[in-house]
Amino acid sequence: MAEELKIGVVSCSGEDCLGGTISRLATRKMLDEVRPDQTVTICLPLYIAGGQEERMFAKEYPTIAVDGCSKACAKRATEKYSGKVNSVVFVSDIIGDELAEGPALSTRNLTAEHAAMVEKVAAVVTQQFDEILSKILK
Amino acid sequence: MLAKSKVKVMACSGMGKVYGLMAREAVLQTVTHLCPEQADTTCLAYIVTGDDAATAKIVDQPCITIDGCPAMCSAKSVEEMGGDIKAKFKVLDVMRLHKGAKPGTATELTEEGWAIVDEIAAKLCAEVAQIQSEGR
Repeated sequence: MAEELKIGVVSCSGEDCLGGTISRLATRKMLDEVRPDQTVTICLPLYIAGGQEERMFAKEYPTIAVDGCSKACAKRATEKYSGKVNSVVFVSDIIGDELAEGPALSTRNLTAEHAAMVEKVAAVVTQQFDEILSKILK
Repeated sequence: MLAKSKVKVMACSGMGKVYGLMAREAVLQTVTHLCPEQADTTCLAYIVTGDDAATAKIVDQPCITIDGCPAMCSAKSVEEMGGDIKAKFKVLDVMRLHKGAKPGTATELTEEGWAIVDEIAAKLCAEVAQIQSEGR
């Protein structure tokens, strides 16, 4: 049964700050490498541009919001249009406010330091992911 | 004389598809390197929250949208929140000029993908210049 369960990981768009870039990459890491068979995502603006199906996202899947900064757009937009999230990961809590609020980064300019930030955030998302999964399976 | 408003260049969030990542990267290239004095961007997720402070950034402001897929999230969201859309771009339209190209994945672009991103960014920047020169 565990293989059939899917968990939503929703990143902010991340255009305003480095935290957003890291949020996006950590979410992609969940989809590509960490839990590829159990992670689903949605482009946040689809809550507006899409239809009822997109707005069912957080009702259909336990959802983790990954936010790059304290505006918490992924959490707030998901809860406004779709449903309550199960958990929120703030990149700024993990890499620090000063770094997270720096300018948004092109993936063309990623460094080893940025990759390490992505690893750290993905590790926290994975921890939340597994906690949610274990609660569901209890 | 009043300074002209910067044109807001808005990408879709682009989490799920390579074309979305290309839209995002083209916007970053435009607003940080090609025409930073004439254009800037705002996080679409922030706009989507509908916060007054967020929508105030685009209401009645000249905007260009660029979308990675037919859902047109950027165009629809900016329109819904009151942005004055002057032009809409689609990555798919550019990709039709590059049949068989392999731009990469939603996580990472190839050299070919980056070259197309630069081409899109040049188009965005030209549109920004035209909007400003015409006072649109």
